[in-house]
Amino acid sequence: MPLFEGLGSGGEKTAVVIDLGAAYTKCGFAGETGPRFIIPSEIQKPGQQQSIKVVQYNINTEELYSNLKEFIHTLYFRHLLVNPRDRRVVIIESILCPSHFRETLTKVFFKQFEVPSVLFAPSHLMSIMSLGINSGLVMDCGYTETLVLPVYECIPILSAWEALPLGGKAIHKELDGLLVEQCTVDSDSSTGQSLPTVVGSIPEEVVEDIKVRTCFVSDLQRGLKIQEAKFNLEGTAERPTPPPDVDYPLDGEKILHIKGPIRDSVMEMLFEQDNEEKSVATLVLDTLVKCPIDTRKVLSENLVIIGGTAMLPGFLHRLLAEIRLLVDKPKYRDALATKSFRLHSPPAKPNCTAWLGGAIFGALQDVLGSRSVSRDYYNQTGRIPDWCSLSSPPPESVYDAGKTPPPLMKRAFSTEK
Amino acid sequence: MASLLQPDRVLYLVHGEKKIRSPLSTLYFCRYCSDLRSLECVSHEVDSHYCPSCLENMPSAEAKLKKNRCANCFDCPCCMHTLSTRATNIPAPLPDDPSKTAMKKAYYLACGFCRWTSRDVGMADKSVASGGWQEPENPHTQRINKLIEYYQQLAQREKLDRDRKKLARRRPYMPLAFSQHTIHVVEKYGLGTRLQRQRPGAPITSLAGLSLKEGEDQKEMKIEPAQALDEVEPLPEDCYTRPINLPEVTTLRQRLLQPDIQPAGASQLHPKHKHLLIKRSLRCRKCEHNLSKPEFNPTSIKFKIQLVAVSYIPEVRIMSIPNLRFQKECQVLLTLTNPVENITHVNLVGCEEGDPEDINSTAKVMVPTMELVLAGKDAAAEYDELAEPQDFQDDPDVVAFRKSNKIGFFIKVVPQREEDGDVTVSFKIRHDFRNLAAPIRPSEEGDAPTEAVWLTHHVELSLGPLVA
Repeated sequence: MPLFEGLGSGGEKTAVVIDLGAAYTKCGFAGETGPRFIIPSEIQKPGQQQSIKVVQYNINTEELYSNLKEFIHTLYFRHLLVNPRDRRVVIIESILCPSHFRETLTKVFFKQFEVPSVLFAPSHLMSIMSLGINSGLVMDCGYTETLVLPVYECIPILSAWEALPLGGKAIHKELDGLLVEQCTVDSDSSTGQSLPTVVGSIPEEVVEDIKVRTCFVSDLQRGLKIQEAKFNLEGTAERPTPPPDVDYPLDGEKILHIKGPIRDSVMEMLFEQDNEEKSVATLVLDTLVKCPIDTRKVLSENLVIIGGTAMLPGFLHRLLAEIRLLVDKPKYRDALATKSFRLHSPPAKPNCTAWLGGAIFGALQDVLGSRSVSRDYYNQTGRIPDWCSLSSPPPESVYDAGKTPPPLMKRAFSTEK
Repeated sequence: MASLLQPDRVLYLVHGEKKIRSPLSTLYFCRYCSDLRSLECVSHEVDSHYCPSCLENMPSAEAKLKKNRCANCFDCPCCMHTLSTRATNIPAPLPDDPSKTAMKKAYYLACGFCRWTSRDVGMADKSVASGGWQEPENPHTQRINKLIEYYQQLAQREKLDRDRKKLARRRPYMPLAFSQHTIHVVEKYGLGTRLQRQRPGAPITSLAGLSLKEGEDQKEMKIEPAQALDEVEPLPEDCYTRPINLPEVTTLRQRLLQPDIQPAGASQLHPKHKHLLIKRSLRCRKCEHNLSKPEFNPTSIKFKIQLVAVSYIPEVRIMSIPNLRFQKECQVLLTLTNPVENITHVNLVGCEEGDPEDINSTAKVMVPTMELVLAGKDAAAEYDELAEPQDFQDDPDVVAFRKSNKIGFFIKVVPQREEDGDVTVSFKIRHDFRNLAAPIRPSEEGDAPTEAVWLTHHVELSLGPLVA
């Protein structure tokens, strides 16, 4: 901690840095080494047991406004414990965030909490800042999707973005399906019951806990053998020995027996190539192909992986191995001349790296003011500039979220049953 | 019937940016604006910090330094309960005589709920009861501080450049030598197109093009860019064969409580200092006066300023509802309570056709047209036996009963819609309000009583379902 921390050079208070993710929100103050809190992005309405997710893109403006307002209220008055009026705000966002959501969030901050200024920082760019380099290929493995964006000389190459809806949400769904299909539950009255008869449906938090504590990503050889055994085209492929079963307690009385094979095979869905031959590893190579030739070498030697899903044990090793395997395939061999791939390790856990970059940027009080959208500017113009519509507001039809939901990215080979 | 006294049966309308309907018990009354305020149209502020377990107030400067955490109290990393300090006696050699051993007190932290102790993670017992426990440091602190200093230098340079550009006057265009034209062009358009004009809200180019050049200024800091690794550590082999001991693996919630380290094994879970709570004060957005200001002392539940609506506005409550039938006139008994100490006059007015505030009512209502008089609230009334009963001429068709500062009166309701759902009626209540907050004028006319202001509120009642 620098000695003059807390006072600031001009007396301006440290900014608040918030990374509003689909599953978890990281919040804290600029200039610190880590977020103060990582909390689930949910609110609890009185009287309802089920918590409501805050980051939803398909609900109407009124509901989104009140959800966001309540959530940010708890952020300020339960976790950060500061006055919103005094401090600037840095919001780390994904560049694919819909304008509607952004506008509502800005409105909550300016109208309800009256913050002095707001800055929307792209998460991929901020991760580069946390490393002290100028260029890098950043892959964000989050909850809803995995998004790759290259950054060259501190400028995102927007045209080269690639994304797949393979994230925490897809893993939870797959794991839930496998558990319901294959696992048995012992309760105090009976043993060996199938899951739906005893519990009904497992809440997503429990599935997430099972994923975090028992599952892992196998290395390349083992993973390929598991994939072969699953599709079993020749009928001869043999599955490598599965890890041991786990007895997982549910609700205190019931015990769920998780079969060993589930533990290492559920993560294979990230690396299985679907009918379009896309997986998490091909995203990196596809992005490189889209980038200008001169930038490719620098980018491939500066890979940065952020996001909560990247914290799975064995993920990074497998990812590198898959990339190196795929680059020799005919599709990429001729297109890409560079064959060396190197991975950075940022000074923070992958789920906090983007937040850390934002905190470093937020500590630069000289430039933070000039680059933020101030409350006066917002009151005058009534909108916040977005990279896709800088001067003119998007057409009104986009806001009728209730009528036609925006087309969701579907994989050609979908795991939805 | 207790369900008639539920707070959300009677809603008052608040005129703010949005029209909010909420029960009177949740509203505040700004007596400077003479208007109702709800929680959404006031600004919330942090008033004071305190620790929820030791109830110790913390001044805000200290709270900021300690990162909003109490110095003495700890949270169990397993179950988030408050840890208690326990003492044991251990034999320890005396400092002056190493051969003799004496009993010394050693302290350790223990959780009363999940039986976790600080010895489980290998923290040695401390010899002082409080102040000996340290939280583990983030290993990357130094690197991050260096990065911040480096970027601050870049930011300073950018600021200087910007200020210089603002102050430097543009030379008028002179059709002179080519070199001067290029100087003019460079100054007008900046350093090429890389540094765009810093439009607020434009996508950040993140100090592009401002990397420190070699040999420019020896005093400037250089930062080592992070080195990328060729190889990543693979999973240990026994991961595939070792059975998991579930209590040894931390859950996601336990990991996220320590964002810096996020340990995967339970043997690395260190206790964290307890997070503080705040007391909030509320302020009217229009006139910037405080509506609610709590006491400084954490153990006190009182307020220094408490401008709640129930102590200024007469409250309507439902007393009894007969069977409501479609298109049949029913009589509903309501009560009206006067919260202030002077006599209040209340007029009830039904809503007119096409009233923009009247959106929820499903029945026609006939309210008493005469003015209702409410006696002042007298705290000593129940003890004062010699008090003369005040004489109000009450029409028995309208006023059912009168009891100190409360009256019961009838309204007639004709449900208009046959659908399922509650019958809702609304009307306006007009009462006189004496503003005691107004500045005391120098008494020119002798004893001028404070003037009464007539306030109108829109009230909605939910009377329950129709009976077939």
